[in-house]
Amino acid sequence: MKVQNDPRWVYDSAQRGDIALEEIRELFNFRHLIWQLIRRDILTRYKRSFLGIAWTMLNPLGMMIVWTIAFSQIFKAAELPAYPAFTLNGLLAWSFFSQTTTASMVNLVWGGNLLNRIYMPRASFALAAMGTGLVNISLSLVPLLVIMLVSGLSLTWHVLFVPVPMLILMAFSLGVGLLMSTFAVYFPDVSEMYQIMLQAWMFLTPIMYPETVLPEQYRTVVTMLNPMYHMVKLFRIPLYYGRLPTAFELLTPLAIAIVVLTVGWIVFTRKSDEFSYRI
Amino acid sequence: MNSHTASNILFGQKAASSSDGPIISLTDVSVRYRVPQERIGTFKEYMIRWLQGQVKNREFWALNGISLEIQPGEIFGLIGQNGAGKSTLLKLISRVLRPTAGRLVVNGRVAPLLEVGAGFHAELTGRENIYLNGAMLGFSRQEMEAKFERIVEFSELGEFIDAPLRTYSSGMWARLGFAVATDSQPEILIVDEILSVGDEAFQRKCFDRIQSFEAQGATILMVSHSMSTIETMCQRAAWLDHGKVVALGPARSVVARYLGRVKDHEAERLAEESSQVNDQRWGDRRLEIKQVRVLNAEGKEQHIFHTGESIVLQIDYFAHEPVVSPIVGIAIHKQDGVHITGPNTGFAGLDLGRVEGPNSISYTIPAVPLLEGLFHFSVAVVDREDSTVYDYHDRLYPFRIDNRGYQIPELYGVMSMQGKWEVV
Repeated sequence: MKVQNDPRWVYDSAQRGDIALEEIRELFNFRHLIWQLIRRDILTRYKRSFLGIAWTMLNPLGMMIVWTIAFSQIFKAAELPAYPAFTLNGLLAWSFFSQTTTASMVNLVWGGNLLNRIYMPRASFALAAMGTGLVNISLSLVPLLVIMLVSGLSLTWHVLFVPVPMLILMAFSLGVGLLMSTFAVYFPDVSEMYQIMLQAWMFLTPIMYPETVLPEQYRTVVTMLNPMYHMVKLFRIPLYYGRLPTAFELLTPLAIAIVVLTVGWIVFTRKSDEFSYRI
Repeated sequence: MNSHTASNILFGQKAASSSDGPIISLTDVSVRYRVPQERIGTFKEYMIRWLQGQVKNREFWALNGISLEIQPGEIFGLIGQNGAGKSTLLKLISRVLRPTAGRLVVNGRVAPLLEVGAGFHAELTGRENIYLNGAMLGFSRQEMEAKFERIVEFSELGEFIDAPLRTYSSGMWARLGFAVATDSQPEILIVDEILSVGDEAFQRKCFDRIQSFEAQGATILMVSHSMSTIETMCQRAAWLDHGKVVALGPARSVVARYLGRVKDHEAERLAEESSQVNDQRWGDRRLEIKQVRVLNAEGKEQHIFHTGESIVLQIDYFAHEPVVSPIVGIAIHKQDGVHITGPNTGFAGLDLGRVEGPNSISYTIPAVPLLEGLFHFSVAVVDREDSTVYDYHDRLYPFRIDNRGYQIPELYGVMSMQGKWEVV
């Protein structure tokens, strides 16, 4: 047998640097796996459905229609131009967050029996969930742009800024996803609890209503302490609001995302050595 | 001892050609598990206990100061009771776990052989699953493209390769998984209880593949509860107990020590419970089989034969009380469970007469017609009516037929028919 002196396959437990950094290097080595996992998620999601990929676009549209009918009167639609575009815009950011963080947990537990036998960087599953989310949210931008035009909003060149809020949102979701998957490995009920939490969190985030409907005394608390408020807001700025963010509007979510991702990454990688006998 | 010498002759060349140092080396490696003392199932419960200060983790050392070197091309066995640390060691080597202390160096690609089809997705086609599974083993798409045709061919799926896996039979599913897992040509193959799963055809395929890996000089790490498998397939073995290496050396002597210890425990247990039944041995032992040896024509102990060689089975037994005309019988089973034959002194019309005290009898196979594979002898002593079992040793004595280096004009199936072809 030819000896493959492929450095990928030489493993020395003493040569190990920092676990958190090591994981980044390993993810690069296993980039094909992440790509294949994204492919798998996208292919399997649409394979057996009649409308296929169109569902990615129809799903938030349906939600938007329901919400528009239900809430536009309550939330004084007159004050808020193009309510459908407003709510769809926020909804896309929220769906990205809730879907990718849930998928990170589910995928890790799904892969648990493999993680016991074959070495794979454990963060692959969360990263693949983010990749799938990016594909979905990008596809969903198409109906959003259509709704914006139909509602009489104009598209400006600021749309080109949209990848920035998407990446910040992804970094934040990855951090939360990694934290939640670490919990989910130890406690099977975490994913149930997380779904309930997500519901409450969504209603506390100005997605279907403008923050101005909140009573003055609570508004600062709900908005400032809710990281998703900043994420959603930043995502709306180049689209619904058609402008560029102020430094505060950009740096706040960026800082939150960096902190959450760093904490999530460190917690996840520190604990990941235990996964193989806990899952 | 002889079987070990035999395997050294067979494998000696390979061992000598690869002197680049060990392919796997462990230096004083320890693994500590931290597990909750009580099972805490839910997060809520955990929080309550945590607030009460009642979360206690129990620590235990699954491996404790293991030092071990495995050479390229070696077939290395791991034995020991459940919980001795065998799986932990395999997990370390496959990088699933990291050592808590000590150093582990692995110089090659490790592939596990089992859990076939794990990681497949039912909605994806066979083709898509090949790439997905390949990526899990660490291969890029380009690398998998090079392997693709071979995998499809080996898995015998034909045009089904583009159908979703949910339309596959379990056999097709297994074939595909096996083809992907083993096409990767790993330098190190991990075989965990391979012979205990799957149907007969699948086991045979596994066995053949393992042999071809062996021939290509891959290093094989094997865990099995079957001592005969370890003894016949491995050159060296380590016996693990409570996370420590108790014995390390030629497979045969390690197995012997292990069995000796198990037997001691067994004897104690038997004395206590006065029960005379276990998995592989039963009978009232009025007449006891003391020793069974598998010998070659020269009367030397041997465990690897080639087709056509003669095998002598020497049975020493002891009659604790006088018995008239007992029957001594043997059986040969192939590893996959096929019963090859079952001759006994009764059928042969051999009357042993009145026996008492130590006695010996032998059964000679002049030219063994079996083809390659792993086989076991069973030996039993029963009364003249074949109604009382004195002592039954079920498949305790292994031997292997290995025809490498011999011109045997037959390849498939269990036995050579010694037939002749003639154009008529």
